[in-house]
Amino acid sequence: MAIRGGGFQKASKASGEVPTSSLADIAFLLLIFFMVTTVFQTDRDRPIEWTEAESAEKIDEKQKNILNIWMERDGLVYINDQPLSMEQVTTVVAPLYAASERALVISIRGDREVPYRFMDQLQSALVAAGVVRVVFATQLQQSMQRERR
Amino acid sequence: MSILGKKKSSVSEGVPMASTADIAFLLLIFFLVTTTFPKDKGLNLVLPEPGEEAQVSQKNILHLIIQPTGIVDVKRGESQQVQQMRPSEIDGLWRQEVSANPNIIAAVKTHPDAPYKFMVDVLDALHKANAERISLQILEN
Repeated sequence: MAIRGGGFQKASKASGEVPTSSLADIAFLLLIFFMVTTVFQTDRDRPIEWTEAESAEKIDEKQKNILNIWMERDGLVYINDQPLSMEQVTTVVAPLYAASERALVISIRGDREVPYRFMDQLQSALVAAGVVRVVFATQLQQSMQRERR
Repeated sequence: MSILGKKKSSVSEGVPMASTADIAFLLLIFFLVTTTFPKDKGLNLVLPEPGEEAQVSQKNILHLIIQPTGIVDVKRGESQQVQQMRPSEIDGLWRQEVSANPNIIAAVKTHPDAPYKFMVDVLDALHKANAERISLQILEN
């Protein structure tokens, strides 16, 4: 072998560039990580007909501090996919309210045709649980719902 | 040039794969940035603390009695005079009343058989008129 450069300089074997061949793997890894760890709302929607209100405001609270209480047309109450009686509402909501350090907001999602006597019972149960902030949830997007019908 | 006049094409036949990762990242970042989750909307209300009862003089109360048909009976304080209205007319009424008496409280009394939507309609009208002092009750007897 002939000695190049007079034998003083040796070409380095290490590449001067960052290896980019694994970039796609990293991207997929991140994608899958976020897909697995993302948690959406825990309860499923009940089949209710929403009420509508023009002056409805966005609920100014973190998603984890919002508890949905569903009330169907026949007065059945659902919290986190569990059907509950009116008497159970206080015992279920009170510990959740205490655990959230009184930051919990109750989102009441009632069917538009439910007789008001059930709503009144629900409100009394919430007052007994010490809840202060309540939102009467109305339709999210009126145009979308109309198209679906 | 060769003798046969054939030229070797310098265009590669495969789709370039080197930029796939860049495209994946671009899509990932685009969707991360543009995704917005729908926020719930509703009518806010503050419930009273348990055992908390406020005494209000009758002349500061505007009774709004919601009938099962959706008609609202409006009664001012102690007077027996009843005015019938639709829920959509309540916001105009409230603006009038509050300019006449700034301490007025809306007592929304709903009939037990009245559908929930009529109560929401009245509450909506009161919110539209910036009413803050609202009491929700059920109509007794």
